[in-house]
Amino acid sequence: MNNRNLTLQIKCRKIIILLLLAVLSSLIIGCAALQEAQQKREKRMAEKRNAKQFLLSTSKAAINVNANPLDDKPHGESDHYTLKFAADLQATDDFDEPQERETFANSALVYMESLYDEMHNIFGFKPEHKIHVTLHKLFQGSDSHAITGTQYQYGNNIKYVTGIEMHFPMAMYEKHEVRVHELTHAFTNIYFLPTWFSEGIAVLMQREYAKGGMFSKYDNLQLHLKKDLNGMNELENWGGHGAGGPLTQWRYTYAYSVVSNLRDKYGNELYIKVFELMEKDQLHQKLIGAMPTSFLVYYFSQAAGTDLVPFFEKLKFNVRKLEKTDILEYIRQLNTQNQRGH
Amino acid sequence: MRTYKLRKSSYYFLMILLLPILLSACLVGQQWSDNYALMDGVKANDPVIIDGNLNTVGQSQLTKGSGSFDLDRWQNSESIIKLPEKKKIFRVTIHASNLQDFQLMALNTQNKWDVIHDQQHNKAKVIDVRLKRSVITDGIKLLVRETTDDKARRHQNVKIERENEVTSDGQVRKGNYVYKISGPLTVPAQIAEIKLFGYDNASQ
Repeated sequence: MNNRNLTLQIKCRKIIILLLLAVLSSLIIGCAALQEAQQKREKRMAEKRNAKQFLLSTSKAAINVNANPLDDKPHGESDHYTLKFAADLQATDDFDEPQERETFANSALVYMESLYDEMHNIFGFKPEHKIHVTLHKLFQGSDSHAITGTQYQYGNNIKYVTGIEMHFPMAMYEKHEVRVHELTHAFTNIYFLPTWFSEGIAVLMQREYAKGGMFSKYDNLQLHLKKDLNGMNELENWGGHGAGGPLTQWRYTYAYSVVSNLRDKYGNELYIKVFELMEKDQLHQKLIGAMPTSFLVYYFSQAAGTDLVPFFEKLKFNVRKLEKTDILEYIRQLNTQNQRGH
Repeated sequence: MRTYKLRKSSYYFLMILLLPILLSACLVGQQWSDNYALMDGVKANDPVIIDGNLNTVGQSQLTKGSGSFDLDRWQNSESIIKLPEKKKIFRVTIHASNLQDFQLMALNTQNKWDVIHDQQHNKAKVIDVRLKRSVITDGIKLLVRETTDDKARRHQNVKIERENEVTSDGQVRKGNYVYKISGPLTVPAQIAEIKLFGYDNASQ
C-alpha cells in the first residue's frame, strides 16, 4: 500500500512538473509571439514615419578634395564620383576662394555618396563606372536644366557603358529632388531604356521617394492622352531631357503617371523585378540603338505576372506581344545586318 | 553636557559643509553620452549634418511645397534626424552659421512632433541647448523659422512697383504700389552638425 502511494506520489510530481514545464514554455512562446508582434508594429510605425521624409544615412566612402587641381583634374573624388566646378561657377562670390570650394566639394560628396548608397539599396544594382559631376552657374545658358549622359560603345555585338556624366547648374543642384532624379538616370541608363520610361521612373523617384513636388500626376491616363499625327502616344516621340517644346511638361507628367499607375497596380517591387529580369537575360546589351517599348513591356508582363500589352495598346503605345524567341530573332537579324554593313 | 552640545553643532556644521561637496560630486559624476547622431543606423534629411565633420556643411530642407507660389514663398525649412532606437535626450548642440529663429521638436509615440525648445534672435554659431525636461524619442526636428540671410533674400526677390493701367485712349494711369515677388523669400539654414546627447549610461 505504501509502495502504491509512493508510486502515485512520484507520478503526481511528474505530472505537475510536466504541467509546469508546459505552462512555462507556453508563457515563453507567448512572450516571444508578443515580442514579435511588438517588433512588427514598431517596424510598421517606423516605415510609416520614414515614408513621409526622404532620409539618408551618412556614407563611409573615402573623399579626397583639392581646391586648386592641376590639368583639368576634378576638385573632389570619392568612391563613386568625381566633382568639378565649371569656370563660370568659380568666378562667382561663393566659389572664388579655395576654402569655399573645399568645403562645398567635401559636403557635396558626402551627400552624393549617401544618396548613392540609398539608390543602390532601392534598386539592388549600381553602375560600374564613376559618375563625373560638373557644377555650373549656368549650363547651356540655363539655370534650370540638369542632365545626366551615359556614354556607350558598341563592339562585338555588345553595347557597353564607357562613362557617366552629370551637369547641374547650381540652382538645380540645390534641389535635392533634382539630385535624386539625375542619379536615377545614372543608375537606370545602364539598361538603355526608352526615354519615356527612363524619365518616368526618374520622376517617380523624385516625387515618391525624395518627396519633391515639381510634377503632378494624372489620375486618368485616357483623359490626358496626347496622340501624334499617326495616332500614336506622343511619349514615343520623346528624345529626352534636351527636347524642349510645349509638350515637355506633359511628357514628364504623363510618363510618370504611367510608371506610377503600374507600380500602384502591381506593387512596389515591380520595377526592381523588371531590372532583375533584364540583368539575368543581358539582352538589353545586344540591341543596337534605343530599346523598343515592346521589348520593355515583355519584361513588365513577366514581372507583373500578366500580359500588359493591352494596357499599353489602350494608351496608344506602339507595342506588340513578344516572346523571347522574337527578341532573340530580332537581335540575330540586327547582328547579321551589322556584320554585312562592316 | 557641554561637550555633547559642541559635538552636535560641529556635526551640523560638517553636514552643511559637506552637502554642496556631495551635490557637486553627483553632478560631476554625470558625464554626457556620446553623440547619438553618430550611432549606426541614424538617418537625416541631409546626411552632411550628421557626418561628424564640422568642415562639411549641410542645409535644412524646404518643406514640401503646396504648389502655390503665394503660400510657398514663406516656406519654412527643416532638418530631421531619425535614430534607430529611442534615446533620452538632454542636450542638443547645433553648429550653424545663419540660424536665427528656430524650434526644436521631438517625435512622440503618436508620430507627432512636440515642441521641446523655442529660440529667437540667436546670434551664436554654436547653439548649445540644455533641455528643461529630458525627452525620450527616436526623432528630432529642427524647424527653421528665420535665418540671418532671409532679409537679403527678401530684398533680392521682392520689389515694390506701381501697377499702372493703360486707359482706352492710350494714356498711362498711375496705379497703386504693389509687391512683385520673383523668388523664394527664405534661405535654408547652413548646418555643419547637429549633435544629440543624453547622460552616459553609467551615470544615468
